[in-house]
Amino acid sequence: MKPVRALLGRVRSRLLRDHALTWAANGAAIAAVLALAAEVGFRRWPLDPAWPALAAAGGIGLAVALAGWVLAWPSWAEVARVADARLGGRERLTTAMQFAAEGGWLYTRQREDAAAFASGADLADLGPLSPPVKVLAVAAGAGLVALALALLPNPAVQALRQHRIETAAQDQAANQVQQIAQQLGQGQAGEDPAQRQALTKELQKAASGAKQAPNAQSAVASLSQAQDALRQLQDPAQGQKADAAASAGAQLAQNPASAKAGQALASQNMQAASNELNNLAQNLPNLSAQQQQQLAQSLAQAAQAASGDQQLQSSLNQASQALQQGNVQAAQQALQQAAQEAQSVGASDQFQGDVNQAINGLQQAKQPLENAASGQSGQQGQQGQTGQGQQAGQSGQQGQGQQAGQGQSNQSGQGQGAGQGQGQGQGQGQGQGQGQGQGQGQGQGQGQGQGGTGSGGGSGGSTRPAGTSSEPIYVPSQAQDTGNGQNQGSQPGVQNDLVPYQQVLADYRASALNQVDRADIPQQEQQLVQQYFSGLGQ
Amino acid sequence: MRAAEEVQPAMQPERFQELAHIIEQELAKLIVGQRELVRSVLIALIAGGHVLLEGQPGLGKTVLVRSLGDVLELSFARVQFTPDLMPADVTGTNIVTEDDSGRRRFEFQPGPLFTNLLLADEINRATPKTQSALLEAMQERQVTVGDRTRALPRPFFVLATQNPIELEGTYPLPEAQLDRFLFKLLVPFPGPEDLAEIARRTTGVTEADLQPVASGDDLAAMSTLAREVPVAEPVMERAVRLLLATHPERPEAPEDVRRYVRWGASPRGLQTLVLAGRIRALLEGRFNLALDDLEAVAAPALRHRVFLNFEADAAGVDSERVVAAVIDATRGK
Repeated sequence: MKPVRALLGRVRSRLLRDHALTWAANGAAIAAVLALAAEVGFRRWPLDPAWPALAAAGGIGLAVALAGWVLAWPSWAEVARVADARLGGRERLTTAMQFAAEGGWLYTRQREDAAAFASGADLADLGPLSPPVKVLAVAAGAGLVALALALLPNPAVQALRQHRIETAAQDQAANQVQQIAQQLGQGQAGEDPAQRQALTKELQKAASGAKQAPNAQSAVASLSQAQDALRQLQDPAQGQKADAAASAGAQLAQNPASAKAGQALASQNMQAASNELNNLAQNLPNLSAQQQQQLAQSLAQAAQAASGDQQLQSSLNQASQALQQGNVQAAQQALQQAAQEAQSVGASDQFQGDVNQAINGLQQAKQPLENAASGQSGQQGQQGQTGQGQQAGQSGQQGQGQQAGQGQSNQSGQGQGAGQGQGQGQGQGQGQGQGQGQGQGQGQGQGQGQGGTGSGGGSGGSTRPAGTSSEPIYVPSQAQDTGNGQNQGSQPGVQNDLVPYQQVLADYRASALNQVDRADIPQQEQQLVQQYFSGLGQ
Repeated sequence: MRAAEEVQPAMQPERFQELAHIIEQELAKLIVGQRELVRSVLIALIAGGHVLLEGQPGLGKTVLVRSLGDVLELSFARVQFTPDLMPADVTGTNIVTEDDSGRRRFEFQPGPLFTNLLLADEINRATPKTQSALLEAMQERQVTVGDRTRALPRPFFVLATQNPIELEGTYPLPEAQLDRFLFKLLVPFPGPEDLAEIARRTTGVTEADLQPVASGDDLAAMSTLAREVPVAEPVMERAVRLLLATHPERPEAPEDVRRYVRWGASPRGLQTLVLAGRIRALLEGRFNLALDDLEAVAAPALRHRVFLNFEADAAGVDSERVVAAVIDATRGK
């Protein structure tokens, strides 16, 4: 039996190689077909990244190959059968293996016959290794098609990535708005708590709306609605009151007795002004009659200058008249009322600043959403750096915002009013300013840009001539992308190569409404866009 | 060492092969060609089975059987089956005889069945009654006449012939009786060279003189040896599959069987396959049954055990095609 076992050992090695080749081909075919199925499936149900699924397909193919090879491990009886079939043994080897331990002379003769055959057998009769051509063809075909599908663009995956980008942008915007809400949550003494609560509630609602919006466009619309709502919290007369206080302060500053209060009012330091007015009221009995008359005159001039704030004007007039009549006690009460009004104006001014800051913050929060909605996912990194540049530019240009307010007011030649400027462009940024008051105002700049867009914004109390609220606002007619991330916000008042804001808004509105006028966009979303532009128009 | 190993056989395999070769050589003196036919007949005789020979007249069927009798030192008898042949004409009958004292008594007069080698010529021309008498003797190896049963001599072989043409007035053998033949052999028409040799031998002056080279005991010893040939499990499984594949209701059955076969082979077919295969293995010089042996004996063992339906008759499909389909269907599984 020794030659028989030796022969069968060699045949089994050969069989194992055959099986390895066969099952490797089977595994490759299964992996390729699974990968193809996965790639086809990804066209309908996208998966990103897809490599884990493809790796799983490869793993399954490898597992099948290994399992198949192990399970197909031939027994000695099977090896004997194969050897008989391929080497022409006519079941000599099979019979000898089965009856290897059998006694009897004929069995012995049979084993001897099998051994003689095994000694003379030629393994070359087994033939060369025959790869499973059909299976390999299937594997190659499926693999090539899967590779082609993997290399070709997959709209479903692109849509998935876009969705993720938009979701991330929505989360980022929501967090940004939430932070603003937290920053602006604390009010000051003298302001209306209900308004502060409304501001905070609106911001939190905007954050929630941006996070839960179905897409970035809806999130932008949600933030725009929040901006509109916040604008409702703005007090149009706040600027006049601040200007009135500043003008009154300028008049009071000329009198030595009321100089400190006047300077505080002129510098818009309302808390200090309130304190100084109270101090002045307490010091009235200590003033000489001449000084009281001079102070009454100054108070009268201040009252005349504070025409923008009727309450302040009234208090100052009452104080002036009381002093002229020698009624110091009444004058003290009137001055204390003026102090309260100054404190109220200061608190309101702070609140309005917070409202403006919130509106600006929402505008900034919209930027990543708009970028995400525009599908410029490939520029996320660059835009992120640009955003940092914008932030730096914004904070660094607080004074420029004030200057913008000044320039605008100077050019308009109007003493009172509010101005708004908005510019949009690439590389040149955008500026928006708002100022009110007499001699004192607020300037606010806001910018948006892409790929190097900068923005600047700030608020200040720079003294300036009165402006007007009806002056036209211009924006750059062409945008240029410098790509350097620098803030080059165009300043309001510079009207060269500019077009009126209303015209730009009208064109922008028409274009946007035309684009959303599609059957696949829900009516509700279309109305949202319309409301957004309606809010801008107001 | 087991006891069976120590018992030496009555005949060594080499002697088996040699004896068979001698018999074939001796028959070849008279039988021109027909090597496969002679080998199949020899296998059937060693297996102790009966043979149904089918072929055109004049192909040497009778000569083959008579020559076997001469070569094997066996008594030989021939019965020409005709429609008027009665069972008693075959089995024998009691006749009235008178002894020396003048007393009359019945004495059994054995028929031609009482021989070692019986040639039943044109068996399908006898009536079913006579056929049944013969077939009972074939199965039981005994004859019952009157109230007494008499055993037939051993060995007892029946080699029946039937003519596939001239079927007018014949009585085809029932399926159950066909099953009692070990082999059904088709006698092929000789080729040109064989025909020329036949002409030379039979038209000359000299005639072949056959010598007895084996005996009935030799055949019995050969049969005993053949039954010891080991059969591996895969080979036995193939034999079983071959048989099952002849049954149209079995899943192993090929399309031809499902379509054209009415009944498949009985377990006697399996016994025939294995036993005849074992004998063929020894004749081939091997000590084990091989798949080739099964395929070689499948046609003579199964062709008369596969019963075709009317659709097969209409389509001209014969049992040869069905058995070939069965062999193909079970090959390599």
